[in-house]
Amino acid sequence: MCARKAAGPAPERPPMIGSRASSDRSGKLAFVPTRYAKGMVGGAELVLAQMAHGLAERGWDVEILTTCASNHWTWENELPAGDSIVDGVPVQRFPVVKEDIPERGVLEHEIMAGGVPSITEQQRWMNSGMRVPALYHHLVDHGDDYRAVLFTPYPSWVTFACAQAVPDKSVLWTCLHDEPYAYLELFQPVFTGVAGLLFQSGPEHQLAHRIADPLSPHAVVGCPVAVPKKYDPDGFRERYGIDGRFVFYTGRREGGKGWPDLLDMLARAVARSPELPFSLVTGGAGEIDAPAPIKDRVIDVGFLPDEERDNAMAAADAYMQPGRYEAFSMTIMESWLAGTPVIANGAGEVVAWHCKRSGAGLTYDDEFEFEQCLRFLAEAPEAAAELAAPGRDYVLDNYQTEHVLDRVECEIARWTGIRKGSVAGS
Amino acid sequence: MDRDSEGLGSRLVKILMVTPYPPMRDGIATYAAQAVRQLRAEGHDVEVLSPGPSAAHYHLDLVGPRGALALGKRVPRYDKVIVQFHPDFFYPLPSSVRDRIEVSLALAASFRLAREVEVVVHEIDYRHGRLRSPDGYAARALWHSVDRILVHTEGERRDFITAFGVSSTRVLLATHGARFSRNTHHDHETARASLGVPADALMFLTIGFIQESKGFDRAILAFAGLGARGARLDVVGRSRLAEDGSGYENHVDVLAAATDGVHRHKGFVSDELFDRWIVASDVVVLPYRNVWSSGVLERASLYDKEVIATRIGGLAEQAADRPGMTFVRDDAGLRRAMWERVMGARKGLTLEPWPAEGDRLRADLQRQIRRRAAAARGSRAASAAPVGAAPDVAAARERAALVAGAVSAPVRRVGELALPPTASQRSGGALVKRVVRRLTAWELGPIVGEVNALRAATIESLESAGAQVGVAAATADDAERAVRSRGQRSAGRAAGKRGSGGPAVRTERADALDDGIACPPPRRG
Repeated sequence: MCARKAAGPAPERPPMIGSRASSDRSGKLAFVPTRYAKGMVGGAELVLAQMAHGLAERGWDVEILTTCASNHWTWENELPAGDSIVDGVPVQRFPVVKEDIPERGVLEHEIMAGGVPSITEQQRWMNSGMRVPALYHHLVDHGDDYRAVLFTPYPSWVTFACAQAVPDKSVLWTCLHDEPYAYLELFQPVFTGVAGLLFQSGPEHQLAHRIADPLSPHAVVGCPVAVPKKYDPDGFRERYGIDGRFVFYTGRREGGKGWPDLLDMLARAVARSPELPFSLVTGGAGEIDAPAPIKDRVIDVGFLPDEERDNAMAAADAYMQPGRYEAFSMTIMESWLAGTPVIANGAGEVVAWHCKRSGAGLTYDDEFEFEQCLRFLAEAPEAAAELAAPGRDYVLDNYQTEHVLDRVECEIARWTGIRKGSVAGS
Repeated sequence: MDRDSEGLGSRLVKILMVTPYPPMRDGIATYAAQAVRQLRAEGHDVEVLSPGPSAAHYHLDLVGPRGALALGKRVPRYDKVIVQFHPDFFYPLPSSVRDRIEVSLALAASFRLAREVEVVVHEIDYRHGRLRSPDGYAARALWHSVDRILVHTEGERRDFITAFGVSSTRVLLATHGARFSRNTHHDHETARASLGVPADALMFLTIGFIQESKGFDRAILAFAGLGARGARLDVVGRSRLAEDGSGYENHVDVLAAATDGVHRHKGFVSDELFDRWIVASDVVVLPYRNVWSSGVLERASLYDKEVIATRIGGLAEQAADRPGMTFVRDDAGLRRAMWERVMGARKGLTLEPWPAEGDRLRADLQRQIRRRAAAARGSRAASAAPVGAAPDVAAARERAALVAGAVSAPVRRVGELALPPTASQRSGGALVKRVVRRLTAWELGPIVGEVNALRAATIESLESAGAQVGVAAATADDAERAVRSRGQRSAGRAAGKRGSGGPAVRTERADALDDGIACPPPRRG
């Protein structure tokens, strides 16, 4: 008998509407996600775009500056360059220039292997991938039109180059991870020479201090999390033909996100404990490529609309977070809002921090701990529900969109207060 | 000669700028980016071609004749081509005579295809223009194919015209920082707070790519001893390339670590942070050994900062008529200027008025002279005798100051080492001396600097130790006086009033210290 989670959690505590910070909203804000397109999967760019819309709703004059690309692997110019309006917000797209320069692969390999290329090589590495000269020159020409220009994430060429075009107006949604790139000297100007850095968590803040000195003005503001109004776990099972207990993963299925590791660990856990009742349901993008022994346990539901993703969260026994380079992990918040516990890679400093602070997640440091986490879920579903219980309050207390936007507004106002002559027309 | 006569007037044109470009971090790239920003703001249609991938619209490997000829295919599309010129962008390293001929001729051919060519010269070797050889003729042909050549100082202009035989009407002066704009909104106070610099510290700054020609080591050696006087020197930057100059950077790091008050900030500095350091500083030090002109000087001027710079290349001309500039000729001058700046900041030190009368007028005057001189040279002991201090504190510090001055006197008398002047009464003597100076300065200059730094450190150590001895002596005297006082009271009670030898002994010693002969006398050579 499956210990299914029946009805979606009827939140005992309703989401709070934050008291909106009364801040000076004069001047135009530019948000510069490297990609901005319908159907984009996860990531910092999505959060930045959501933040743009959130601040536009609060009365800010907001514009989105982005590329014509939607695929962060190919960077092909799939969308037309020029102006458009998306959900009421003006969007300007600029074409990507991308050349296949073989040296990039060599240097990338060296960096990821822990090597430290010379600063000249680091610069060549940065400039040998995608570039957007037209966006850079837009900011050269029109930088004075903006009060603040918000970028993310730190290692992208767009952030690296364009933030330096308008350094005292540049605010970074840093998305700093403890990864080899972060330690490249190349990025020191990004951390030390901009108007401000927005961090999402304490570990990210601490990491920034370990990496750069002196840090630009900075603040931990969290990350905005939308609170669903309702959940329909049974409907999800029905619509996607899922029977039985499952753990869930959604997002980009790629090495950097820990997807192959998750599959390997699951395969080994199942090999040792074939009685484990779980399938692995996955939504998002990327190749599945599951090992043969667990191929039939892995169910791809493809790209899920937000509501279905939330329903899947509510239906799952646990949400799996195998990534070690998460700067925030929106998905674990969505899991906790849905009343579902999180099982996470202990090497992910930020996620481990959230798990510890919320008390609503377990972490594993090897395949045996991973297996024991699954055994716990299988054998003690009531205790697992207890484990998950504080997660929702943790999210509501810290990361409701309105609260985070309050903090972001406050910091933008602090770091980019209107200065005489600094913003055209203001 | 008019500056910045770039001939555009109000005409809006399509321009190709050939230059290194951001996000590559490079002085010329930064210079060019600001020029592009301004030209575009004026309404010109500016595109950029850089030697490698960057934020430029195009990139092209420009090294060698092929690069130059490939450039030639593009230039006819523009009304005007502006080249930010450094030989390394075009000529192979190292260059043979044949290389130089090929590249010069290829560039000349390309430039002739353009409607209008303007070249901003950031560095060039004039020798190649003076040669009566095929590469010399090729170099002159190249520069004759350029419509307008911009240099940054009159000296460069003169040399350029002489070397390459270009008409003087085509070689113009560009104001180095004419297109520079501020990169930070911080003020002095907030910049310091953000950088962790105490608000009240007198801060010298030397900043830029760490390379021997920039002379960062000279600034540190000149600063030695000022840390104890409340000043600080912040050395900011890294070597241009990890693979070159790292030996020199290590040398700078070692010197910085060994010198009290020097703060070394390594790493890649953004444009904003670069400016923030300048805003936070009181004095920007440019201890260059070899430079044509300086972007740092321009950025310092942008924020009205005081600058101490070596009189080298075209710096003096670049800084002409700007307030707050101090030029020095050598390490001794650099050291003097930095020390005078610190002492000047301490002019607020209140000293007693000159003694005008009394039985000990000479001794009092001598003491006052020493005290004032010590304050002027930054002796910690002297500055520790403020007017208005409690009498016992003032007396103890007075004693410490006297001893400190006395023990350092032998070293102070030696004076600073300096390279001999190159002037000569003999015909041709001055020229020979200048040649010898030029040939040996690279080796002797640092040695002179090291010796003077050692001298300063020795004085500082002696005065510090001397001050402690002085305090100890004052304490001992107090104890002795107390004992004597008790003894005198006993003796007085026993034998009635007699003269006391105690105070007379002490006065003799104090006077001896005043004369600076209490410690072993200096050796006289």
